[in-house]
Amino acid sequence: MSSLFEYDKDREAASAAKVRALEALLIKKGVLGSDSVDAVLRHFETVAGPFNGARIVARAWVDAEYKARLLEDTPKAIAELQFPGMTGAEGEHMKAVANSVTVHNLIICTLCSCYPWPVLGLPPYWYKDPVFRSRGVREPRAVLREFGVTISEDKEVKVWDSSAQIRWFVIPERPAHSEHLNEEQLAALVTPEAMMGVALVPSPPPA
Amino acid sequence: MRLQHYLGGLENLGPVNFFEKKVFMAEWEKRIFGIHTVMMAESVHLDKSLPKYPLSEVPTAFKDTWTWASLRIGAENMQPFEYFKYRYYEKWLMGISQFFIDRGYVTAQELATLTEHYRAHPDSPLPEQPNPALKEQVVRYLHHGDSGLRAPVDQVRFAVGDTVYVADPEAADHTRLPGFLRNKKGTVTEVYPGAFEYFVSTGPDGLDGPQHVYGVSFLASDIWGPDKSEPNTVIYADLFEAYLKPVHSM
Repeated sequence: MSSLFEYDKDREAASAAKVRALEALLIKKGVLGSDSVDAVLRHFETVAGPFNGARIVARAWVDAEYKARLLEDTPKAIAELQFPGMTGAEGEHMKAVANSVTVHNLIICTLCSCYPWPVLGLPPYWYKDPVFRSRGVREPRAVLREFGVTISEDKEVKVWDSSAQIRWFVIPERPAHSEHLNEEQLAALVTPEAMMGVALVPSPPPA
Repeated sequence: MRLQHYLGGLENLGPVNFFEKKVFMAEWEKRIFGIHTVMMAESVHLDKSLPKYPLSEVPTAFKDTWTWASLRIGAENMQPFEYFKYRYYEKWLMGISQFFIDRGYVTAQELATLTEHYRAHPDSPLPEQPNPALKEQVVRYLHHGDSGLRAPVDQVRFAVGDTVYVADPEAADHTRLPGFLRNKKGTVTEVYPGAFEYFVSTGPDGLDGPQHVYGVSFLASDIWGPDKSEPNTVIYADLFEAYLKPVHSM
């Protein structure tokens, strides 16, 4: 796409200076404190992030009853784990969907970039890019193949477009040959991409 | 019609740039994301939101409503080629800067002059002026959010299993109806408890006050046709009641 358009050759330096000037002016005018933006960024390093989603998925893998509760009432099941901020911004109404031998789920937001912040953090660039948002609903299997994931035609693909209040995330399938791992080790296998439905969780190295 | 409302299904765009797993493509993008999120956390509507926040105790010069709708309206009003031209956070920077100029918080001249300063001196520091009470509100907002859940004002019109058609309302500045679903046939798979109020009225588009929201499933072949769709594929969208019509109305 980018070859279609002419950009300023110092595009990044110009934006960096402009955003710094804007932040400085807003601090001077009392709209922001000099510690406000950093407080936001710290939240996404410590409170909201894919580390939460990975632990939720690992719990669902080791505890079938927990998984059933998670699918039935996602916020209530997440609350059991007592992580902070789980009904916070962009997580006010979350729902989990589970991959299985018969179903593969993919999350998308064709209108903007809705994403379950408390459990997944902030979305990667490609999720917000118009190309994914355009193609993910019409040819999800082709897009998944580009991500290295081939879904056989006898498996149903479900695409979840986040157009109202619900923020979706995916419980991927537990990989084969992972019986020797504990919950924490399982969580370490779960990537944000797997919880968006564009990656599978590969089997761990043998014990 | 707005191209931005019809991204879903647009063809010939080439491969997804999936190697870009980074959230922020440049370090400066973090700052505009942070500024936007602080604005959401100090938006004047939060003294009546769910939950309610003690905004009167938060010392800030910000006296406007700022929500996701503000940002989305800006993006949906862009010239469509510009929308494709600029990266995600470049669009945010343009929209948010213009908002502060339009609302009189800063002048275009002030911003241009200080931008030149930081161009010449990229490492020159920001003013040191912490605001602990605002920081506390930012953290509170991030932990508790801003839910649209409201008490329903009327009965639900559709039940799980109902066949519905998607409405085709007049094009407006802003919508939560993905364009590719207009006039398509779907099946209600979920009736969400309660009602939901969107941040703003979308006028003739149909969002105004609390409405029921339904999960609706669509066969890919019913949307794109048998030749343009992939097999065994279902698309789900959450749709406000204004966007749905009963099948007998068609």
